[in-house]
Amino acid sequence: MNELISIFIGMALVNNFVLSRFLGLCPFFGVSKKLDNALSMGIAVTLVMFLASVVTWFIYHHILVPFNVEYMKIIIYIVVIASLVQIVEMAIKRTNVTLYNALGIYLPLITTNCAVLGITLINTQEDFSLIQSMVSALGGGIGFLFVLVIMSGIRERLELSDVPKSMKGLPIAFITAMLLSLTFFGFGGMV
Amino acid sequence: MKSALSNYARPILFLTLVVFIAVSVLSLTYQATKDTIEEQQDAKIKSTLQELFPALDTYEYQDSLYTIYSQDDTIGYAFLTSGKGYGGNIDIMVGIENETTLKGILIISQQETPGLGNRITEDWFTSSFAGLSLSDVFLKKDGGAIDGITGATISSRAVVDAVREAAMEKIKAIPERTQAKAGDLE
Amino acid sequence: MSRLRKEFLKGIIISNPVFVLALGLCPALAISISIDNALGMSMGVAIVLLGSNIMVATLRKIVPNAVRIPVFIVIIASFVTIIDLLFQAYFPPLHQSLGIYLPLIVVNCIVLGRAEAFASKNPIFDSIADALGIAIGFMLALLLVSFIRQMLGTGMLTVFGKELLRLPGLASHPMALFVLPPGAFLVIALLLALFRRMGVLKNE
Repeated sequence: MNELISIFIGMALVNNFVLSRFLGLCPFFGVSKKLDNALSMGIAVTLVMFLASVVTWFIYHHILVPFNVEYMKIIIYIVVIASLVQIVEMAIKRTNVTLYNALGIYLPLITTNCAVLGITLINTQEDFSLIQSMVSALGGGIGFLFVLVIMSGIRERLELSDVPKSMKGLPIAFITAMLLSLTFFGFGGMV
Repeated sequence: MKSALSNYARPILFLTLVVFIAVSVLSLTYQATKDTIEEQQDAKIKSTLQELFPALDTYEYQDSLYTIYSQDDTIGYAFLTSGKGYGGNIDIMVGIENETTLKGILIISQQETPGLGNRITEDWFTSSFAGLSLSDVFLKKDGGAIDGITGATISSRAVVDAVREAAMEKIKAIPERTQAKAGDLE
Repeated sequence: MSRLRKEFLKGIIISNPVFVLALGLCPALAISISIDNALGMSMGVAIVLLGSNIMVATLRKIVPNAVRIPVFIVIIASFVTIIDLLFQAYFPPLHQSLGIYLPLIVVNCIVLGRAEAFASKNPIFDSIADALGIAIGFMLALLLVSFIRQMLGTGMLTVFGKELLRLPGLASHPMALFVLPPGAFLVIALLLALFRRMGVLKNE
């Protein structure tokens, strides 16, 4: 149990996906302008990260390793993620229209989100068990959601403040990310 | 009817063909690079072990324990372990001479803070483990024989604890192994 | 010929993938702590980009539209696996220090972006020129960021184990912040702002 908690905290806070591993930066800067969008995107990413981790764990340990074709993992993982995103999109569309309207437009973007492929590769690299992979995916996803929401809160305020002309937009967002990343350093040593 | 069929069939056939070609090219590349990759990995392990045991001639790997031979004599054992540092896992190769004495340690990989925690890779720190009795593998402030790094107690303690705990665990396997080997000779 | 030159040059400055288009930021931030990493990463991206652009441009007229993107992804993922295996065999230290960021070239927006936006609509030679230009632009951006971070963060400039430069004072007391994640964000932020100030970049 202790180990699972330490994996969770490590993934969510100490080695945060966005602030310390730089994974998922495109959506981080793209959709972090509004709080609602950030929340929806974060939930969608967490969901796909979790599902992808479970599916790729089975594929890696029950197909790739027995047949000795571990080197195929990159190509297989990206295909799994792309198909998962399609399936999740269709499933949500049929069952819950409100949720689909909220998450729908973000789902196709997730295929090329490096956080998703990143978590599957990290789980494989760290040789996590199924439970550990699930926990690390949840930790990574929730950490992503967490900073996305914080960032969108800050950026909503930034819109109203007087930023030097050449710093407007992306540069000031990066400065904000730098300060957040520095803050997250305080979580170091927690695992 | 015919066009409807080809509308579905052509894309699927095309994708299958592309995947088939891709997989063949990859397995060819894998076959071509496999031996070099294995050689590189062996060479890396050997050079790491050689740094701990300069007299090493050959080594044997079984049950995650390396047995080090100089000519025909066993001169020690080595194993990989990892500790939880400030920024993540710290992977360490530990060499032991016998059941009680450390030969030395090497930090294989770490993500500690530059200038503070990552000083665990510096020579003065790793070499302070050489020749220590296992019961002394504690930081000085915990009553042991190792100087911690100023401002990086978590990183230093992570290394010290990981080395001691893993060594205590591994030495249990050594006597059995030696006996098993003697048994084989008879 | 001048058309090829135009396709080649545009990637370097006018539409520099990192500073102007803000693409491929993940690797630009994550691995830019040393010149070695920058060279290794941009070599990887260059090979994948060139390979996939050539393949996509060759197949552009026969790829059925419905499976266009999956086919591109399979092509890109194959090239990435090939360089992953080659790096593992011939540059193991580089393979180790690039870690998961080497396989992550698959989802690098630059590569799929060029395949979809350029190579799928243009002839082979134009696509090669485009790939080379973008790859060099990416390399220059990565080298610039890595140079600043390594110089300030370690006080030294070392390339493949050879020390080229040592800043007095800074080498003994380096500003470690710059080789840490916050330093990456800071350097990119300031460079983006600088490029805008110089008028290379349009304001949003």
